[in-house]
Amino acid sequence: MSFLAPLFLVGLSAIAIPILIHLIQRERKRVIQFPSLMFLQRIPYQSVRRRRIRHWLLLAMRAAALALLVLAFARPFFPQGAVAAAALSGAREVVIVLDNSASMGYGDHWDKAKTAARRIVDGLGGNDRATLILFGRNAEENVRGTSDRVGLAAAINAAKVSSDATRYGPALKLAESILSRSSLKRREAVLISDFQKIGWGSAEDARFPDGITLTTESVAAADTSNINVPSVQFARTAFSGQERIVVTAGVTNRADAPAKDVPVALTIDGREIETKKATIGAHASAPVTFAPFTVGETSVRGTVKAGTDLLPADNTFNFVAAQSEPVSVLIVDNGGGSTVSLYLEKALAIGTTPTFQTEIVPAGRVTAAMLDKRSVVIFNDTVVPSSIGGDTLKRFLERGGGVLLVAGDRSSWLTEDADLLPGTLGPAVDRASARSATLGYLDYSHPVFEIFKAARSGDFSSTHIFRYRTLDMSTTAGAKSANGAAGAKGATNTANAPAADTTNRVLARYDDGAVAAAERRTGTGRLIVWTSMLDDSSTDLPVKPIFLPLVHQLVQYLARYEQTTAWMTVGQVLDLNQTSARIRGERIIMTPAGQRSTQRANDTSLLELNQQGVYEVRPAAAVNGRPEAIAVNLDPAESDLSPLDPKELVATVTGHASADAARPSADAATLTKDEAEQRQGLWWYLLFAGFLLLAAETAVGNYLSRKEKFL
Amino acid sequence: MALTSSGSVPGARFVDPSILSRIGNLELLARTVVDGFINGLHRAPYFGASIDFAEHRGYVPGDDIRRVDWRLFARTDRYYVKQYEADTNTNFCLLLDVSKSMGFGSKGVTKLEYGSYLGACLAYLAQRQRDRVGIITFDQAIVKHIPPSAKHFNQLLSTLEHAKPERRGNLDAPLKQLAEFFRRRSLLVLISDFYEDPDVILESIKPLKFLGNDLIVFHVLDPAELNFTYNDPMSFEDLESGEQLPVVPESFGDEYRKLIKAHVDALSTKFSEHRIDYTLVNTGEPLDKALFSYLSARERLMRVR
Repeated sequence: MSFLAPLFLVGLSAIAIPILIHLIQRERKRVIQFPSLMFLQRIPYQSVRRRRIRHWLLLAMRAAALALLVLAFARPFFPQGAVAAAALSGAREVVIVLDNSASMGYGDHWDKAKTAARRIVDGLGGNDRATLILFGRNAEENVRGTSDRVGLAAAINAAKVSSDATRYGPALKLAESILSRSSLKRREAVLISDFQKIGWGSAEDARFPDGITLTTESVAAADTSNINVPSVQFARTAFSGQERIVVTAGVTNRADAPAKDVPVALTIDGREIETKKATIGAHASAPVTFAPFTVGETSVRGTVKAGTDLLPADNTFNFVAAQSEPVSVLIVDNGGGSTVSLYLEKALAIGTTPTFQTEIVPAGRVTAAMLDKRSVVIFNDTVVPSSIGGDTLKRFLERGGGVLLVAGDRSSWLTEDADLLPGTLGPAVDRASARSATLGYLDYSHPVFEIFKAARSGDFSSTHIFRYRTLDMSTTAGAKSANGAAGAKGATNTANAPAADTTNRVLARYDDGAVAAAERRTGTGRLIVWTSMLDDSSTDLPVKPIFLPLVHQLVQYLARYEQTTAWMTVGQVLDLNQTSARIRGERIIMTPAGQRSTQRANDTSLLELNQQGVYEVRPAAAVNGRPEAIAVNLDPAESDLSPLDPKELVATVTGHASADAARPSADAATLTKDEAEQRQGLWWYLLFAGFLLLAAETAVGNYLSRKEKFL
Repeated sequence: MALTSSGSVPGARFVDPSILSRIGNLELLARTVVDGFINGLHRAPYFGASIDFAEHRGYVPGDDIRRVDWRLFARTDRYYVKQYEADTNTNFCLLLDVSKSMGFGSKGVTKLEYGSYLGACLAYLAQRQRDRVGIITFDQAIVKHIPPSAKHFNQLLSTLEHAKPERRGNLDAPLKQLAEFFRRRSLLVLISDFYEDPDVILESIKPLKFLGNDLIVFHVLDPAELNFTYNDPMSFEDLESGEQLPVVPESFGDEYRKLIKAHVDALSTKFSEHRIDYTLVNTGEPLDKALFSYLSARERLMRVR
């Protein structure tokens, strides 16, 4: 109840007047001091009669009459009445925010949600408008602001559960923006969801202004038991020249009771190869390891399926397993039984991700064909053979090959390919007699040294280098060409200013400032000059712990090695130019649902993965042939069905404890206070009741006073 | 005497010359024989050197031969010694109740003031007849004790001056205690309003009668207490306990007057039974009248005896 003139309520204090009169009369009575009440007390007499209120009825009648009169003057009215009145005239703008994330596929959640949405549509008035928003990770307006109830119902019926994760924020923001733009007086958003707790982050800043109400329709079930496969792991082993993979799947049980004998099946290329039974504790995970299988030249598509439950989508886990491709390295040295490449060879023999395929060839026997299918060529203290000189090496680099020049005393570079080097190799510097050289500067921002960036991640300072070749980077062809325009100003590409030339980069320097390692890019290829030896002849680097990771990093970087992923998650965006680089030109993409789309060469190469399953990418030209497969799985978080209290969400979004609390202030505004009060006219009834009560009081008072001599 | 110039001696105002002018020719005489050292108006329990002949007794060796009645010897041929009544002075002690209820006064003069006037007058009389005067004020305990002495009259007046009704009263404890102060037979004047059960009062007063003390009791009451002249409904607050009682006097004034009369009658009866002089003093009446009537009655009684 509200009041038009609330100040009149101060008059309620008048209720105290009858009581005060009684009290004052009692207090005003004279107090006489008397020597002793000894005799007075002995007199049996009802002397305290005036202290008590005897006629409660009279007092109550007087107080009630006063209260009614005061209330009448305060002009009361019911805001709800105003709302009801407005409801007859005001049209509504309703936004139905329907959750179609993957978790809505649980049991009959989706049917319930659609029923709730249809009910809202059925409840729309003739002038009401409604918008349907379907949301998962992102939100989209499915049907925009229409009064067409048939169209809305059809859109609801046509909506399907997606593979998306749940996020309330974008949907609520979208709803808020639609409602804020609306010119209708009554604006409501109805959120229909299973209210997964995981979908509501503390950082969500969706907030409804006053005047917009948010109501919720929860389809969440009390039972949130669910089994899902969040990930798999591969263990690769070599077996008689082939690679075998052991798949270990993690199976999670999100029920309060343990799941016993859950069948977990591994399917490879559509053929189920093994089924195992697993027992998983309540709210626990268990690993299931399958027998190894052999991977051939082509990749295989695998699926792990665990049990059956109300949400089948997350019981399946897809992956694509391919043979791990070794990095092929050609080491060119002087041959003749020298051990110059021993450390390099041993270092590259270690490692699984990736494995390195190493071949050591004396310089004299190197042919141009040897560079084919090689990722990296290492010239280890040797003369670059003329057989691969000229364009061969340049082409090798341009198509993405990597070259490591380990510059020892015997190293020399082809003059015709001088522009491939970051500088000019100079004479050797012998530091054996004086203090040995150490690596004083490392460019930790470079991918090669990035892993040594963290504290205690690699101690290069203890490395002693007794002899190294100088590298004059001010005289490279690249530098010359790069500085050609600026030559008039006398600018030179000195070692101190390597950043001036983006193709040349100093990676490391000795303590005296001389270049220890430098890189030059040619095309997509990379060439690194390491100005000291990588054996134990003039340095102790190979016996240091950093040697192995350093060599691996150098070779991986030069080979442009990137670890392949066996699966993606719904919502990720893929750049096909990187992952499917082999497929040039037009690509045909087949989604798991069977939709086919064509990606042209000049189109964007990005692919948004929004369906669970296996995407296929194939060149448009080829009709046959095995396409590239991309396995896409549900976001594991979506399997956590723990519900959120819808009231909490409403309170956060609207700033009111409940949807009802938000309503009056919004809707009462539709009728002014004056109008509402005038329509209801409550004051008249109150005034009449007050006078009636006063009359009754008079009658009762007279009756009582006649009955007694005094009150 | 300095008493006439009021103010020179504290409490001298209690000895109102106009009052004393009326009662000054009366003698306050102890009814019973009291001890005394100096000659006074009271009869001593011993034969002494007064001029009042008491009796003859036979001569015994050691008697002063000057006391032998030679004329009787002539008649009877036997030695007799003449004995005289010994006039003596006595201890006069004023016992004044200074409890809070004594502070009540409906007509300007409180009961305590009235009692003080009364006590002062009696003490003046006693002093004039060369009695030793003392005073004890009490409420629920003894407040001040001035032992009887010929020089203590001024102190007595001072004590009356400074007496204040401050505490609740209780007759029993102080009276029993002060009974122990009197080693000699004394004239005791007790002034109180006696708000206590008559039996309790009598029990408390009895010890004062021991040792043959002569006890005179003045029951001081205000006219309002006696007649209960209130008409309006009002709360009555007990002066001593602070307790309040709302009362409609018109409806039970009669009842009250009956009760107070019964109380006074009971006290009068019980005191007379124990040979205690009891006088009801109404503070609404002039003091001299009260004193005069009492002293006249007392003298009359003495003569009868």
